[in-house]
Amino acid sequence: MPTDMTVNGEARTSARDPLTPLIDVLRDEFHLTGAKPVCREGFCGACTVLVDGEPTVSCLTPVAMAGDCDVVTIEGLSSCGLTDIQSRLEQGDAVQCGMCFPGMVMTLSHFLAHTPQPNRDEVRAALTGNICRCTGYERIVEAALAVAGGRAEGRR
Amino acid sequence: MTVDAVMEFRRRDARDKLTGRTRYTIDRAAPGMLHAAVLRAEVASGRLVTVDTSKAAALPGVRAVATAADAPGRFGIGVSDHSLFADGQVRYVGEPLAAVAADTPEQAQAALAAIEVAIEPLPAVVTMAEALAPGAPLVHPDWQDYEVLPVGGARAGNVAWEATVVRGDVDAAFARPDVTVVESTFRVGRQNHMAFEPRAVVARYEEDRFHIETSTQVPWTIRNATARFLGVPASQVRVTVPPVGGAFGLKFDVAIEPFAALLAKKSGRAVRLVNSREEEMLTCLFRENAEILIRSAVTSEGEIAGREAVVLMDCGAHGGEQIFLTTMTAHTLGGNYKLGAVRLATRAVYTNTPPNGAFRACNGVYNTFALERHTDEIAAAIGMDPLELRRRTVLGDGDLGATGQVFEGDVLRPMLDRMEALRARTTPHEVDDGRLYGRATTVGTWFVFTGPSAATVNMNADGSATLVTSGVEIGSGSMMQGLPQIVAATLGIRPEDVIVRQADTDAAGYDVGVGGGRQTTSLGAASLAAAQDVRAKLLAFAAQLLEATPDDLVMANGRIEIAGPNGKGFTIAEVAARAQAALGPIGGTGAATRTGVPSMPGCVAGHFIDAIDIPVFAVHDCEVAVDRDTGHVEVLNYRVVQDVGRALNRSAIGGQIQGGVVQGLGYALHEEVSIDALGHIRQCGFETYRVPLAGDVVPVEVDLFEGAPSLGPLGIKGAGEVPILNVGATVACAVANATGRRVQELPLTPPRILSLLLGREPDLALPHIQPAFADNLLRPHGPEV
Amino acid sequence: MTPSAHPSLYVAPSLEDALNALAERGADGAPLAGGTWIMRAPLRHEAKSPAFVGLGRVAGFGRIEVHDDHVIIGAGVTHARLAEALRDIPDLQGLAAAAGRSANPAVRRAATVGGNLCTAGFAAADLVPALLCLEAEVEIASRAGVQRLSLEAFLAARATLEPGRLLTQVHALRSSARSAHARLPLRKAGDYPVAILSMAVMRDDAGRVVRARVAVGSVEAVARRWPALEAALTGPPLDAASAERAATDLAGEFDGREGVDAPGWYRVAVLPALARRAVAALL
Repeated sequence: MPTDMTVNGEARTSARDPLTPLIDVLRDEFHLTGAKPVCREGFCGACTVLVDGEPTVSCLTPVAMAGDCDVVTIEGLSSCGLTDIQSRLEQGDAVQCGMCFPGMVMTLSHFLAHTPQPNRDEVRAALTGNICRCTGYERIVEAALAVAGGRAEGRR
Repeated sequence: MTVDAVMEFRRRDARDKLTGRTRYTIDRAAPGMLHAAVLRAEVASGRLVTVDTSKAAALPGVRAVATAADAPGRFGIGVSDHSLFADGQVRYVGEPLAAVAADTPEQAQAALAAIEVAIEPLPAVVTMAEALAPGAPLVHPDWQDYEVLPVGGARAGNVAWEATVVRGDVDAAFARPDVTVVESTFRVGRQNHMAFEPRAVVARYEEDRFHIETSTQVPWTIRNATARFLGVPASQVRVTVPPVGGAFGLKFDVAIEPFAALLAKKSGRAVRLVNSREEEMLTCLFRENAEILIRSAVTSEGEIAGREAVVLMDCGAHGGEQIFLTTMTAHTLGGNYKLGAVRLATRAVYTNTPPNGAFRACNGVYNTFALERHTDEIAAAIGMDPLELRRRTVLGDGDLGATGQVFEGDVLRPMLDRMEALRARTTPHEVDDGRLYGRATTVGTWFVFTGPSAATVNMNADGSATLVTSGVEIGSGSMMQGLPQIVAATLGIRPEDVIVRQADTDAAGYDVGVGGGRQTTSLGAASLAAAQDVRAKLLAFAAQLLEATPDDLVMANGRIEIAGPNGKGFTIAEVAARAQAALGPIGGTGAATRTGVPSMPGCVAGHFIDAIDIPVFAVHDCEVAVDRDTGHVEVLNYRVVQDVGRALNRSAIGGQIQGGVVQGLGYALHEEVSIDALGHIRQCGFETYRVPLAGDVVPVEVDLFEGAPSLGPLGIKGAGEVPILNVGATVACAVANATGRRVQELPLTPPRILSLLLGREPDLALPHIQPAFADNLLRPHGPEV
Repeated sequence: MTPSAHPSLYVAPSLEDALNALAERGADGAPLAGGTWIMRAPLRHEAKSPAFVGLGRVAGFGRIEVHDDHVIIGAGVTHARLAEALRDIPDLQGLAAAAGRSANPAVRRAATVGGNLCTAGFAAADLVPALLCLEAEVEIASRAGVQRLSLEAFLAARATLEPGRLLTQVHALRSSARSAHARLPLRKAGDYPVAILSMAVMRDDAGRVVRARVAVGSVEAVARRWPALEAALTGPPLDAASAERAATDLAGEFDGREGVDAPGWYRVAVLPALARRAVAALL
């Protein structure tokens, strides 16, 4: 039973079994390897993609549940250059091994879009489901706060 | 020539990593690629009666099957006790029995299910206490037949390796009338690296050679170990390494590469093998669990007249890294302080559990925990302030280390002063919510694992330079920041214009691997030498062009000019292009290895490193609040003064310190591995193995201590490994101070703390460590006879 | 292994369709809502049911109706939506906290109320004790009709529910009570709690407790009410210290489950502190 969906603005059809995790369809069938299958239990967040605008752990999402949905991966998010959060992470020398960042960026993009002026604790809470094993998080939190701070300055 | 390689240079791989474009090994595929899977034992100990793969081999899509018969060789870092597949005996849950490659992952799994296995269970030793008990079953009954690579360590039965240090008359020190004897015992569990990228490999067999693309820190170890397992010349193995998605020591040993190589050769196709997270948990090559008894004879003035210790390290079913790491006790537990007389025994013990391995500041984190908690217990016993005791006794200029090496420079003492200043700059945390408050300062001694490295620098006619090494970018940024900075500064070009080639054993010379804080130091030393070679050639050629001597020239900002105002000159690109036309392309090579600081003759037995070339010191401080109802520990703030020699890139070092400290907080507080009576690891993924999350961390306050003596290039030291060193120690000391309880174990999970507070926890007894030092040894300290 | 005649996952467009599909699949069939538990079956070495019926598109499953005297929560409501919908409702703060702090944000956006209540193997479910305090009832639909039963009765029966049945919605009564949800993860957040104590308390004008409901989750395999503590709380004014003392005296009623995350004694030992915290949140 094929599953139709929109991926990064393009109509795509998966031929995989409907229970196949979305992450495997994206990576193995559509060759979008940005999202990473790390824990496959919804705890690490490295496989986060947007499904109809909501950050979704694609490891726990059967592809059939993404049927007729609009899926955006890190590749789609980055198709017009770096977003604000990506720029701040780059400038802040935040990246180390990098495996968690595709998911971090998806989560933070959505969070910052819905929480324009977060405080530090809110950023941390938003990252509860995005593990980073390298950086100790602080530069990631700083980058998110810098995006918000930059917006506040822009309004002045 | 002085080179100023200090820069605030941003890493070039960040953009691709942020946009999902980086292709790690797990993201790589090849046309017609097969998918491999490994069948693993489900019992901890047994006689392997049957592994029948005939039905599996006949299943659709199955292209190759491999078993022990295909991999006759053995490998090991100190003792060749590791066969690729279980060889007649099963030694741990998770030990490989067979491997298959099929068209799809599902077919590979179906093939595993069709392999018929019969194992006759044997008694297992799951703990070190069981392994050391009289008459215990042997994990390696044939231990005497194994090839031993270096000589000197005592071995017998379940003791895979024993290393000893004896300096001075310890018995006399303990017999002195003016000393107080303080004895402490400690136990720590395992730590899992939880690298995000699992062990992963894509292997091919082409033109009678293996090409292994893998997620590793040690391309040359993979090359050599694969050759040994498969019984082929090492020259038939080529290893290349894509960007590595986290390693932390996990990937400092051979892992699943030989399976893929074997299956590629058998099938004639590219073979991909990626560990599932469960396999990663099962076969982690953890930081080992350890048990420590330490005893000191101390005067009322804090002078440590004598110290003795026994350290048991669980190596699991193979000796692996632990055999080498027995060496480190001398430099970690034997470090930090001036000792009158000292004797140390470190025993790597075989158990029927998954093999352990290397993890950032191997051995050092728990020995520092033990040493610093012991030091606080000494301070309490003699009634001295713990900080004052440290000020009086830390290693200083001219002091002897445990193995008799002479330490240069006063480093730790001024670092303690710097910590006091750092603490004074920040307001202490007020806790008035009923929780217990504690604070602690600890010191730590670590080192740089030097050793052979090679580098080539090719000067390109466009003014760029290509650096070729066997270095790997594992996330620390050394390949992105430190190394190009060193080459760029030497050649007077921009670091952006230094192309850095990732490891390819066909392209670059031997390298020990990325780990032990050695990347920017050892590879840096080789890269510096190679760049200096190029620099000398370019300057000599430019001198001819400019009718000057090389000494008259400056090489900076992309130009070679005669020194002085309005000096005549050329761009480096122009010199390089003209040199290429006249002489051929300009290139240089460099090499580096251990310098070899001496120890005192006769002090060590069974050691791989008798003295440390480049010591690295650390002072940590933290404040904690402990919830007396639930046992939760909150780290309120954390401070680090780190000896970096010279900081090439402060931002890069800062990132390593924050990340390393947070990994240490995980080790101290959350990350628990338990092994059940049947030898199963109980934590199977990110749900049960708890690494710190964003809400669990604090911003680390950092002061980089520069100027300590260093044999490293440009005066640098490794900075990425050491940040984790004293985190367990510092948190444990702070928690002990907060609770007034004797903290003897890590991690300090809420149940463990509550247990301490409620007095449920009996004092830690280690009956398998004998009270008399000599009774712990297989043979008296000394050279092998 | 005989392959099922049905696809591994069929996404049902309507309740009727879902019930028909489940009936057809019989013992092979099982409902799948958010997927956050079922998709992890391989990690638990559990076989997946051969033929899931996906509920994500079933109309009405995602509804939340807040009435003056009761609230109706569709089984497909996610934790995130529930927390958002109940944010400003004083008597349902316990449930809002249970929904809003469980797991992590992404899982809260996927995991559903129905899944949380139906997963017999999941002892640390946050919503169960919170709903027990609200004396919730659940509706179970099948082709034969709709059955309503108390959450307690459902918890006792859920592991042996006949095929073809589906939890469709939850009814909880509203009142002048105030509720709180004290949960204890081992880290700051992001864990399944090792112990949960939910509480709903109604007080008279003088502040005396006239009715108390306490439920304990994650301590034993299945969450349950704590009538003895409810009785101890009833009568005097609410007081955190006395709640803690009473819970200390009564905690021996619980037999804590051993787990990889925490030993059984620990789950029981923290109950007094959770009782104190829950009461403190109500004062």
